[in-house]
Amino acid sequence: MSRRRVVALFRRVVSEIRRDRPSLALLFIAPIVITGLVTFILRESQAPQVTAVVVNLAGTRGQVVGSALGAALREGGATVSDVADEATARAAIGDKSASVGVVIGVDAASGSSLSITVITNGVDPSGEASQVSAVGRAVVAAANSASGTAIPVVRHTTVYGTPTDDPITTFAPAIVGFFAYFFVYILTGVSFLRERTGGTLERLMATPVTRGEVVIGYTLGFGLFATIQVAVLMLWALGSLQVPALGPLPSFSIGLGVAVNGSPLLAFLVVVLLAVGAVSLGIFLSTFARTELQVIQFIPIVLAPQFLLSGVLFPVSSLPSILQPIVAIMPLNYAVDGLRQVFIRGADLGVPALQLDLAVLAVVAVFFATIAALTIRRDVA
Amino acid sequence: MALQAAPQVEGAGSTPAIRALGLVKTFGALRAIDDVSFDLAPGGIYGLLGPNGSGKTTLIRLLAGLTVPSAGWAEVLGTRMPSRPNLSRIGYMTQADGVYSALTVAENARFFGAMYGVVGDEAAAGALGLVELADRRASIVGTLSGGQRRRLSLACALIHRPPVLFLDEPTVGVDPLLRVQFWSHFRALADAGTTIVVSSHVMDEADRCDELLFVRSGKVIARGTGQEIRARAGTADLEQAFLRLGGEAEVTR
Repeated sequence: MSRRRVVALFRRVVSEIRRDRPSLALLFIAPIVITGLVTFILRESQAPQVTAVVVNLAGTRGQVVGSALGAALREGGATVSDVADEATARAAIGDKSASVGVVIGVDAASGSSLSITVITNGVDPSGEASQVSAVGRAVVAAANSASGTAIPVVRHTTVYGTPTDDPITTFAPAIVGFFAYFFVYILTGVSFLRERTGGTLERLMATPVTRGEVVIGYTLGFGLFATIQVAVLMLWALGSLQVPALGPLPSFSIGLGVAVNGSPLLAFLVVVLLAVGAVSLGIFLSTFARTELQVIQFIPIVLAPQFLLSGVLFPVSSLPSILQPIVAIMPLNYAVDGLRQVFIRGADLGVPALQLDLAVLAVVAVFFATIAALTIRRDVA
Repeated sequence: MALQAAPQVEGAGSTPAIRALGLVKTFGALRAIDDVSFDLAPGGIYGLLGPNGSGKTTLIRLLAGLTVPSAGWAEVLGTRMPSRPNLSRIGYMTQADGVYSALTVAENARFFGAMYGVVGDEAAAGALGLVELADRRASIVGTLSGGQRRRLSLACALIHRPPVLFLDEPTVGVDPLLRVQFWSHFRALADAGTTIVVSSHVMDEADRCDELLFVRSGKVIARGTGQEIRARAGTADLEQAFLRLGGEAEVTR
């Protein structure tokens, strides 16, 4: 292993990327724009407008419940109107003049107690969930006021953080990890493909350089940019620099102000380990690509499953059990978990869960670095 | 064009700079190199001539240790190839330019210098001076002309002053003036003791070589000086000679 050769490889990669303005812009501006957008969407998304139609099929008893329920819904900002039957309610929901229907009937099984059926459109399940929960809250409130019986106040609590936390808190770690992985993979994959197709790899292999030196040099070079990218992204996500009002400009803050409970340096370590694995993955997959377009075409195969199976969008625990073994081998999964451990739980190096994440990421990085080194000569030999 | 006596004759008894011993390289059913053996004495220009696809590049890659032979072996300066340490004594100018277009001329030269373990900037500066690129040191390679990139490619193969030099079609896409300059570089290097193997499919470059090896379908079908080959084939035209010495099927294809 020649230090001079590794340093020369590192410097070459850095010089190349430094002069590649569009790639630099991609590396730094895109994640900032996208995290900003996601934060804005999550924080500023409107409370769903509830337009309820109430159908009473349970006589006077139902009337009492219906009016209490209506009052509670109105209390929560909903528009409430009574309709004669379920068909009218369904028609109203169908033509979107109502967003939710509440049918108060007599429970068929018991024959005496009341049942409440909630009707929604069925077109947008996740959006309608908030309608259903609005009705649920109103039922609890109505039951409280109608009968006077003590229904315990329902409260949701968690071990770490609070359920009412800023929604970006759980999302920010995932997005930081994903972007580091995504951009480092693209840059390395395309860059190494150029090395293979442009004849420079052939020439490089005609020098005494070893494959290990090439992989390490590349890892250092792209690792540097990944590190800067992650630093910028974390400053943006965690920072909230207050800019005071100046003349006609109102005061504003720069940065998303995501709360972090642990050490940002530890979060950094997680992402750097992930990025090192991504460098090697890029080198490895460039073996199977003939053009830059093909490197991009690997994204749906390699990156999209990780995006879906690593808790970025869907919680890992909610994924089907048949997918769990696949989840267990996704490097991004460990990075996202590690980052959440640090961001939300405030984990330090003594926490076993974080130790596992770091260990898996390190093993994955070494594994891919090895197979990347093995593939370097493949098309040459 | 009359040629002086080839300089390699003086080292006739010494160890060959390059040896091929029953080299075979197969790609599936294709025998790209089919049982090739030869010795090349140090300090001379050896021309590998043959049509595209005849196996010239594969032969050079076998000699330079960039690919493993299916049978037989190659030796460079007495060391059996492939040998990684031996690569520091070999220069290889690829058919593609093989230089980094985002880097400057000087950065490319320094980078390949570092890969060969050359310390300091003098070697890079020297190689760039030799190909008359010293005044373009700071230029980004992407802005250079094709001929300038070719010169840089040559400089990158010379930076560590290798005693053995493989040049794969070095003059393709090079204008006539630069071609003359290239050949005078090659001659000067060979006179200084460098063993140079040049591949070409242009027969008019053949007379600039000390010795020619005609390659056809993975075999060396004839070897000798230009004059010897002309005499043997009974024609003054090397292209005619190639055809008469067994290259017919390939050339008329």
